[in-house]
Amino acid sequence: MGDFDIRLDRVSKIYSLHRASSLRDEAGRLARRLFLGHDTPRERCTALSDISLEVRRGETVGLIGSNGAGKSTLLKILSRVTVPTSGQFWTSGRVGALIEIGAGFHPDLTGRENVFLNGAILGMRHAEIEAKFDHIVGFAEVEKFLDTPIKYYSSGMLVRLGFAVACHIDPEILLVDEVLAVGDASFQAKCLNKLAELKAQQKTIILVSHVMTNILQDSTRVLWIDRGTVRALGEPERIVEEYLESAQHGIAEVSALPQAPDPSPIRIRDVTIKDSWLRVSSVLEHGRPATIEVGYRALSSVSDPVVAIEFHDARGYPLGGLTTRLDGVKLDATREHGVVRLVLSPLLFTRGAYGVNVAIHDARIQRYLDFRPGATMFTVEGPGIASREVSGHVVYPHRWEVETSDAARDTE
Amino acid sequence: MKVQTPMASLGGIVRRTEPLKTGDLIRQYLAELAQHHHLILSFARRDIRVKYKQTAFGVAWAILQPFSLMLIFTLVFSTLARVPSDGIPYPIFAYSALIFWTFFATSISQGTVAMVANAELVRKIYFPRETLILAVMLSTTFDLLIASTIFGGMMLYYQIVITWNLLWILPLLVLQIFFVLGVICVTSALEVHLRDIGHVLPLLLQLWMFASPVAYPLSLVPPWLQPVYLLNPMAFLIDSYRRVILQGTPPNPVQLALAIAVAFLLVSVAYLGFKRAERTFADVI
Repeated sequence: MGDFDIRLDRVSKIYSLHRASSLRDEAGRLARRLFLGHDTPRERCTALSDISLEVRRGETVGLIGSNGAGKSTLLKILSRVTVPTSGQFWTSGRVGALIEIGAGFHPDLTGRENVFLNGAILGMRHAEIEAKFDHIVGFAEVEKFLDTPIKYYSSGMLVRLGFAVACHIDPEILLVDEVLAVGDASFQAKCLNKLAELKAQQKTIILVSHVMTNILQDSTRVLWIDRGTVRALGEPERIVEEYLESAQHGIAEVSALPQAPDPSPIRIRDVTIKDSWLRVSSVLEHGRPATIEVGYRALSSVSDPVVAIEFHDARGYPLGGLTTRLDGVKLDATREHGVVRLVLSPLLFTRGAYGVNVAIHDARIQRYLDFRPGATMFTVEGPGIASREVSGHVVYPHRWEVETSDAARDTE
Repeated sequence: MKVQTPMASLGGIVRRTEPLKTGDLIRQYLAELAQHHHLILSFARRDIRVKYKQTAFGVAWAILQPFSLMLIFTLVFSTLARVPSDGIPYPIFAYSALIFWTFFATSISQGTVAMVANAELVRKIYFPRETLILAVMLSTTFDLLIASTIFGGMMLYYQIVITWNLLWILPLLVLQIFFVLGVICVTSALEVHLRDIGHVLPLLLQLWMFASPVAYPLSLVPPWLQPVYLLNPMAFLIDSYRRVILQGTPPNPVQLALAIAVAFLLVSVAYLGFKRAERTFADVI
């Protein structure tokens, strides 16, 4: 195994799609599968095909790819929840997953009881949990409610408790899936610090995120998975840039972030980018009009929601944003469906790849009603940094004025 | 303190060129299971706590269920239908079977839905799935212990003479547990694919009870039918519990051998089948 903590050798996962079938068919198929170990062919869906990867101890590999590319399946295989259809893999050491935090919490049990239960499910022994108990509870900030059944906990408390248990498993290999997006800002900072701490302890980390800034900040390498295959693997900046530039991101891809805990009255449905001909496209031309279209669905009436659109570059660096409130645009969210279009005319971005975050706020922009970081991406054709003709990401509206004369200019 | 990763060296080697021998496979499964013994206890603790936490009668339910059945059986089968009971007072005759039958029936019905009831966990986190089954077994055993306290009182009341043969209870219970584990390995795996199992089960258990000498003595079964009748390990077990507790006689050795054979064959085949089926639980459940 050498000093590799994770090794995947041509791992594939094929799901057979379940169709409703008669009880008799199903029983026969089951009997075959249970006792003979093979199955009659069904409709299949390849989630991963021939993934090979070696991760050294202490490495942090960022895992990127659009939704449905196979990222979660790969994490499921690494955490042994599911078994690959073919191929082999090795992991050395305890695998901890910050994927589904709080799984196995039972509402009727107290916080204390749940810490022990959840800890055991995640692979900790009783004595081990006992030793770390005070740390866990302190981290989660739920000391006062330890003997209260957790059905009375707020969702924030539950998330904190789940995360606290999960990050005390002390695994050699850590799988992190977008959990950094949970909790309030101070708790998020705590989580990020914990992640940095684990990194410093030479843990091997697989990090999944739709937020490219996080990927670039933390990864030593990036693996880009596209439709179940390895599209690219290597130096983070190069791969993230390639990823953001890849054309397939033009059409709305609303990120699969954990939803806001409370049911939100309004949801972003899709985000689409259109070029100057109003065709759906991810490739835009500098200097021509471009449209960003946000479809939303109001589940209940919301007074004056505000749509905010932010841009960032391929590294996730923010390039400013716009809100409907800023421009005094009112949204009618008394009807269920709506579309907001932001027309950038002309498009001022220079050549390169850009990401778009979309959010819907309440009337006073104090609260997120829905937030989709990395909702979509686009690339711009035109003058770029590489041409040395422009610098930075924006060409300001401008004109040059040149004046010449043979006589010295009159400065009086 | 670190816990050895289950099967660290084996990782998740799939589709080996040389398949493991069955014996090695079972040894490997059991080794992994042993590493997760704390999890079995945690699940069992959860099941017991949750079951009794929000009930007014608490653990008394474990007694009430077989006890009320005994009252009904006494009324229907003894007082009305005049079913013989081998000269034993019918209430204790019935109760001696009912506590073990209740143990059997609740284990099977709770065990069958063990995977589905924990679907969230199965979908998200890896652990040997049979820990859920074993936890059910522990929590129903806890119920059995509670229910047997009142049984002790009844034995005093009916002045049952206790003999050394009473010690047979322990091996008989072990045999029953193995048999039940075998059944649950099959039904819980099937339930993952087909929820019908859970619906059919209550009916099946009802039939099964009447195919076992719970309400009536084994002596009532015609001799020509007995060889077939006794292929059902529960028939043998229920009859034997009565013998060793109430009559002070040991179990029939031939029947014992047969029951052991059936139970162990079932549990080993079913366990292997379960472990094979387990791989796809997370995908299907």
